[in-house]
Amino acid sequence: MRRAFLVILALVAAGAMAFYLLTMPVTVPASALPEHAPDLANGKLMFTAAGCAECHAAPAGACDDLDIKDETVLVGGRCLKSDFGTFHVPNISPDKDTGIGNWTTLDFVNAMKRGIAPGGVHLYPAFPYTSYQRMTYEDLIDLKAYLDTLPAVNHTAPAHALRFPYNIRRGLGLFQRLYVDGKSFTPDPKASDAVNRGAYLVLAPGHCTECHSPRTAFGGIIASKAFAGAKSPDGDGTVPNITPSADGIGDWSADDIAYLLETGNTPDFDVIGETMVPVQENMAKLDPEDREAIATFLKSLPPRPNAVQKSKAKDKSKATGDEADN
Amino acid sequence: MRKVMLIVCACACAGVVAVAGLASAADDLAQAVKERRALMDDVVRPAAKLGGDMIKGKIPFDADKAAAAMLEISDVPETYVTLFPAGSEADAVPDSEASPKIWEDFEGFKELAQKLEETSTAAAAAAEQGAGPFKAAFGEMTQMCKKCHKAYRVKKD
Repeated sequence: MRRAFLVILALVAAGAMAFYLLTMPVTVPASALPEHAPDLANGKLMFTAAGCAECHAAPAGACDDLDIKDETVLVGGRCLKSDFGTFHVPNISPDKDTGIGNWTTLDFVNAMKRGIAPGGVHLYPAFPYTSYQRMTYEDLIDLKAYLDTLPAVNHTAPAHALRFPYNIRRGLGLFQRLYVDGKSFTPDPKASDAVNRGAYLVLAPGHCTECHSPRTAFGGIIASKAFAGAKSPDGDGTVPNITPSADGIGDWSADDIAYLLETGNTPDFDVIGETMVPVQENMAKLDPEDREAIATFLKSLPPRPNAVQKSKAKDKSKATGDEADN
Repeated sequence: MRKVMLIVCACACAGVVAVAGLASAADDLAQAVKERRALMDDVVRPAAKLGGDMIKGKIPFDADKAAAAMLEISDVPETYVTLFPAGSEADAVPDSEASPKIWEDFEGFKELAQKLEETSTAAAAAAEQGAGPFKAAFGEMTQMCKKCHKAYRVKKD
């Protein structure tokens, strides 16, 4: 009896030790940062491509209002509802007390590439560092310098309201072990410059993968089904397949894709809605060449069938068969 | 006894009429939704696609066809705004994508419809000036599509 107790105790201790070791925060060393004079114009471009304001600027109305007050005032306050609970987006303005005004460039790089905040705090991947980790060090240095030029506002956003076990931050170390390696995007030497530029914008700052791809039970992207559509992160409806297949956007030309990013109109002139609106409005601010590069890259993806069944979001029982893309 | 029968009968009749009235009200709402969606799907979108395809260079620019398409669009808004009876919002009628905000701010909704009429009329005039002016005017018009959908449409998938 006593021996059994000791064995169990040893197992529990070993488990706790393993959890502790496996969830240790992994960070980028200062030596990884290149010598680079910040380019504010490129920082602003990265800010737009990364859609920072879509989540971090204060919403115009209620906390889930997609409209924002001012894209340069990154005080947070937006709420993101998910299967794990509700995330409240933090203040990333350069305020020293409530924002990230005390963060060094290395701190910022570790948040973006490793999902680790100063003090070894694991960040939730609702902040899409799983994509941002692919950004180059130079672009991150530029982005940090640009964020430093924005107004500092003293404001504390509410804490996240998540369900157990997701409320245990330390557990994110396991997720990060699986899905975060901090490796920057490497261009494909066989692909054109346009494809590589588009791939970078889509996979790194643009974080398109995050909504348009289905996930495993652990919350990671299923690589073999990337961009083939997914359940909406807020649980209501689906996000479309953007691979060049019959289910996806195979009958769209690259011009059609670039035009959608510029104007919000699909080739048959439906108008995009919901969470894609603020994304598209940022894409519209990029250079036309960047939108064309994104289109060229999306056209180069392997065609894939829908990863999830399209469902009519609110009237499942009454849906008629003809809603297609409307 | 006979009086009781009459009263029962009268009540039953009133009930039938009331139910029929409700059913026909629901039919009216569904009909309004069907008609307004048909205006968008069968008139506005194909006409806009024609203009869009010219701008993207998928088909050659044709001033007369472009102008005719824009005028088709300009005919829609006046009728369109009459097809939003109270109670035809997205949560009430299966195929409706109308946000309740339409009824909270019907004037704002009508104003954007009016802007669509103006910008599509302007795009028709611009088509006669050539491809460049048409492209610019067409862009102005599609901004109205977006603005209105963003404010007043609930997208169901």
